[in-house]
Amino acid sequence: MMTKQVRYEALVKALHGDLYRYAYWLCHEKQVAEDLVQETFLRAWRALDSLKDEKAAKSWLITILRRENARRFERKRFDMSEYEEASITDTKSVTTEQELENHWLRDKIAQLPPEYSEPLILQVLGGFSGEDIAAMLDLNKNTVMTRLFRARNQLKEALEAEPVKRGIYNG
Amino acid sequence: MDDLQFRRAIYADPNNQDDDAILAQEQDPSKKQFAQEICQLDEKIKQALQIPVPDDLVDKLILRQTLASHQVQKKKTRVHLALAASVAIVGGLVLNFMQFSSAYHNLGDYALAHVYHEQGNIANNASSQVTLASLNQKMAAFDGNFSQSLGKLLWADYCRFDGMKSLHLVYQGKTSPVTVFIVPKNEQLSFTDSFNDDALFGSSLEFNRSNIIVVGDKNESLGKWQQSISDTVSWSI
Repeated sequence: MMTKQVRYEALVKALHGDLYRYAYWLCHEKQVAEDLVQETFLRAWRALDSLKDEKAAKSWLITILRRENARRFERKRFDMSEYEEASITDTKSVTTEQELENHWLRDKIAQLPPEYSEPLILQVLGGFSGEDIAAMLDLNKNTVMTRLFRARNQLKEALEAEPVKRGIYNG
Repeated sequence: MDDLQFRRAIYADPNNQDDDAILAQEQDPSKKQFAQEICQLDEKIKQALQIPVPDDLVDKLILRQTLASHQVQKKKTRVHLALAASVAIVGGLVLNFMQFSSAYHNLGDYALAHVYHEQGNIANNASSQVTLASLNQKMAAFDGNFSQSLGKLLWADYCRFDGMKSLHLVYQGKTSPVTVFIVPKNEQLSFTDSFNDDALFGSSLEFNRSNIIVVGDKNESLGKWQQSISDTVSWSI
């Protein structure tokens, strides 16, 4: 009992941040992301004995979270409105140049089609290889690589077409 | 590796460490510059993706799990309690069954065992005699009545016939006493018409609420005993 508790707490401490961020980029809403992470860890707790390889913990949790996210749509059809700028995470006044750029880039990432943004997030944030991502998303590796290419390509083009006075709308 | 291939590979994975990609970068400075640009872009993306995580999320996650496992434990203890109670009940039933159920399965077996147990207490030629009146007084408990005596009644008293209150009568027989039991009907012992072992014979008569069992040795005519019993006994309702 105790060892299970210890394992669980270690898992939470090590991976809740990555999982929360991943959840956020899946659903773009802080509260929903938090709920998803809660639900995911609760399921993980119940099935913790089935996790044999601690190295696989992250992809295991992400798989649970994706399933949980899919279930959210089974339960309730959400209005799939266009992504609103108002729901961007960091709407407080941004100060530094770096933060301004982050803010702007977040907007662009959020606007990527989910099939492009998801592999990108898994690769950049999760540090997964093409093979890992292909396995997690149940896709062909070439498809994953193509989507990664397109995701970066779109971001780069957006960055190059970026207006000089970007960020002024924050005022 | 041509330019398009290289660009695709770098776009797909800026940290591409394939030999081809590294070689291509070393041979062509413009490719190297492109790879660096994309690496920078990736760094920016990484920073942008690092949205702040709520500080209390860890605590919330652990709290939620603690509550959930507490509930599971509570459920478990309830199940354990229920299990223990079931075991206790079953144990009690088994004990009850073992203690109070009869070792004999039919009237005959028990009657024979009872007669053997009492044998020797009463001699066939004993001088004691019980009157018809006092017999009928005892018979009243079974709502029965004998109109006349079946023979010389040596002894009559209530006894426990496999835990049931019954009347135990001993008559003088030809060579050894004849025992008559008046037993209330009971489902525990199955009715047996006639039974015997090496020395004793017995037969049962079935009435509405009681059975009358006659046990005697082979010299007795049980048929005659039965006949006179059914002729003389009457049952009040």
